[in-house]
Amino acid sequence: MNKRRTTWEWPVIIVVGAFFIVPMLAMTRFAMQRVPMSLLGRDTIFSRWTIRGLMNTLTDDQFQPAFFLSVRLGIVTVLLVLALLLPTVLWLHLRAVQWKMAAEVVSLLAYVVPPIALVVGVSGAYRDTVPWIVSTNYGLVPLYAILCLPFAYRTLDVGFAALDLHTLVNASRSLGASWQQTFRKVLIPNLWTAILTTSFLAFAVVMGEFAISSLLLKRTLPTYMVEAQGREPQGAMGVALLLLVLTTVLFMVLGRVQKKSPTSSSQEIRMTP
Amino acid sequence: MGGPVCSRASSTSGRWSTSVILPLLPYFSFVALFLLVPTVVLFTKAFRPVTGSTTSAMVEAMNASNRSSFMFSLKLSLYSAVLGAIIGFLFALAASRIERPRRLRNLVTGFSGVAANLGGIPLAFAFIASLGAQGLFTRIMYHYGIDLYGAGFKIYDFWGIVVVYLYFQIPLMLLVMLPAIDGLRPTWREAAINIGASPFQYWRRVGLPILTPSLLGGTLLLFANAFSAYATAYALSSGGSRLVPVQIRFYLQGNTITGKGNLGYALAAWMVLILLFVMTGYLLLRRRAERWRTA
Repeated sequence: MNKRRTTWEWPVIIVVGAFFIVPMLAMTRFAMQRVPMSLLGRDTIFSRWTIRGLMNTLTDDQFQPAFFLSVRLGIVTVLLVLALLLPTVLWLHLRAVQWKMAAEVVSLLAYVVPPIALVVGVSGAYRDTVPWIVSTNYGLVPLYAILCLPFAYRTLDVGFAALDLHTLVNASRSLGASWQQTFRKVLIPNLWTAILTTSFLAFAVVMGEFAISSLLLKRTLPTYMVEAQGREPQGAMGVALLLLVLTTVLFMVLGRVQKKSPTSSSQEIRMTP
Repeated sequence: MGGPVCSRASSTSGRWSTSVILPLLPYFSFVALFLLVPTVVLFTKAFRPVTGSTTSAMVEAMNASNRSSFMFSLKLSLYSAVLGAIIGFLFALAASRIERPRRLRNLVTGFSGVAANLGGIPLAFAFIASLGAQGLFTRIMYHYGIDLYGAGFKIYDFWGIVVVYLYFQIPLMLLVMLPAIDGLRPTWREAAINIGASPFQYWRRVGLPILTPSLLGGTLLLFANAFSAYATAYALSSGGSRLVPVQIRFYLQGNTITGKGNLGYALAAWMVLILLFVMTGYLLLRRRAERWRTA
């Protein structure tokens, strides 16, 4: 393999790479340069770059409520997903191994019911009986938690599987720690990477979710962007760019964290009694 | 929670005993409330007839105009899945074979992790800015004498949406395929070469057959991914697309006027059935693909 160097690899990487980079460049230009496309050329490429469009939108009195609503929904969803899954997955690994298969299949159901079908079903089921799910902003949270279930379950399941759970729990409990202490001081520190991964992914999902919030007429960040696109295209583009940058940074941080702490090896296990 | 702290033996105690099930109740009842019940309601409404008709909405949902939007969605998902799978596979293969800048591989996987999760409104915006009528790429092409829009290309039409979807399909395929490609052991290649196989024969007889379950599974995953997507196409077309999810929205918002709300439920129910079929295939293939990695 090393003797005959095939040469198709670099062209593939470069062409596909360009396909990924061009839209980002185009987006940046659209968001920050005030030169009409037809006048863009060699001599105008550096002129009239500005962030005024973006600033106009950021200071728009409808932007901030939408942005902070999405942030708050993201945080609450992350908390709900963790509160729901951490004890469940722990229990599945500890004492209810027979139920693991069922729990995993159930978590995967969310892949079968697309967001649009989920929101249609939920409003059909609860519009008359439990209207707050459809009518209030925080009614979105359980639906978003369902969207996050498949990857959240899998991430935490893998995280728990990497620990020698029985030894950890036995050691901690026989040293006199309560269940809460075991959870807080032994399990959480060891599962930190899995927890962080789940949280970041869930947060990113909520920040970008459009189908459900748009059908339930909620003013989250994505629905705001679509609506602002008509009024202030440049500003809307700027906000979208900002969201992309934010997501990328989030994922880069996550990559760093994941690389630093391989949860798999048992020597890495930290105990802070 | 007294008793034995936690022993391996206790996990074999009764599956249905209260002490085992009780801590699992929150999870299962949450899923039942917010996923199972809505799905059941969806299907019961979908099987009811549309106002002023005796046939079930499930049947009505497959009449001419709705069938054409299903065909549009299916074709779109198929094309973007197959193209995404082929390009993604080549991309993964290229990334795994290039050794020199060692950082390249990390860069590619890191970026794919982000791009596979993009989708949604920002992605649509990025492509409007680059491949829209006044997009950067469109204008550059025009400058060099290639008139995309003159040739009938539109960012919100079939091929436009396919191209945009490739932006998250290719990286997703890469993430599926890289571990599978890494699972191909050098010894298999050496063995094949030793008994006189050419690299082409190695790929035809050994490499590709082993990767086939991953390739097919990945394609199905991409298909499901495209089929349930909504936001990107909606934003590209300003809500006027023929995609099934956009049709569902149309029926449900007009439901008080047209009495066709059940049609919306039926379309959604059909989507669930199709996805159930595709995802089952994906899971079976994934299990098949893992066979070579555990040995």
